[in-house]
Amino acid sequence: MHGEYKTPNGKLIAVDFAIAGGKLRDVMVTGDFFLYPEEALTDITGALEGLPADLSISEMAEQVRMAMPRDAELLGSSPDALATAVQRALAGEQDRPEADREQDPA
Amino acid sequence: MSELSDNVVSPQMPTLDPAFGLDRWRAYDWQLIPPEPTPPLMNMALDEVLTLRVARGERAPTLRIWGWTGRCIVLGRFQSVRNEVNETAAQANGVEIVRRISGGGAMFIEPEGAITYSIFAPEAMVQSMTFPESYAFFDAWVVEALRELGVDAWYAPLNDITSSGGKIGGAAQARRGGAVLHHTTMAYQMNIPLMLRVLRIGQEKLSDKGMRSAEKRVGPLRQQTARSRDAIIAHMIEHFRHRHGLTEGAVTPDELAEAERRVKEQFGTRDWIYFLP
Repeated sequence: MHGEYKTPNGKLIAVDFAIAGGKLRDVMVTGDFFLYPEEALTDITGALEGLPADLSISEMAEQVRMAMPRDAELLGSSPDALATAVQRALAGEQDRPEADREQDPA
Repeated sequence: MSELSDNVVSPQMPTLDPAFGLDRWRAYDWQLIPPEPTPPLMNMALDEVLTLRVARGERAPTLRIWGWTGRCIVLGRFQSVRNEVNETAAQANGVEIVRRISGGGAMFIEPEGAITYSIFAPEAMVQSMTFPESYAFFDAWVVEALRELGVDAWYAPLNDITSSGGKIGGAAQARRGGAVLHHTTMAYQMNIPLMLRVLRIGQEKLSDKGMRSAEKRVGPLRQQTARSRDAIIAHMIEHFRHRHGLTEGAVTPDELAEAERRVKEQFGTRDWIYFLP
């Protein structure tokens, strides 16, 4: 599943995952945001891994916020933006590009 | 260039005192690394190597102007290859895919189409500044240099140089062991048809932009000045020298060898480039 959310006047955050037993698995968080230190991406991704898919946006955002190191800074996006991307993925509104789809070479 | 995620219509930042932070710049002896055609992977590695050398006090604070040997897409640290790049189209058009150490968005680069520079500075230089303040601080000299060339440029937080003619460029930072890497790419001229073929510009990315086309949202410098790319770079260097002081320098053979090693160990590996597939 794939979901994206672009913070207005900010950056895009995207999430890819599978669902197994009602939980998020194989989570990948990507985007054109800035994150300091960079290693905090592991904490953010880890916060979503195994999370019940039926949590609310604010509950998911809180899990992400708590997992981030105190001194970490996420610029241009936010835990709420990420949780929104997860909810959009669950709603099935957005598709990830195919691996080798040839775009119309206009 | 370029990343299509800009704030062309954002309100202008409050005008800073032109002398803001000048003493911080002038506290160091700045060294220039002039542009030389460099493979994309070496450009990635050199930025890391030189940042670490400045962090360890083995190199003076430095301004490096980039040169390129070929077309490439430079992905931000946290971007997914598949979400950003049409790999089939990239391969068919000889566009290499590389990943940099800083966050931010993908850039499509052609050697004569972009002007890219890196600033390697001790972190003390931005002490007590927020991240957004430090972005504007490191690009203030370029905005001034562009204005001297008649371009109506300003800084659009968080990380864009923009103008009444459209977005010009974007910056990204990484911090390592007490040093800041601040690098910025500006569009000189854009091959928009090829850019749209190799980069995927999703609807979500454009969601807060209205429906303006890529062409209208970017303002490459060639459209905004009568100057050649080389003349713009020369003026930027002169303005930096006048404002902060600048001595001619070069990448040392030792730094070059270390960067080549880092290409083999990290930047050129599938593990790094496809770290987020």
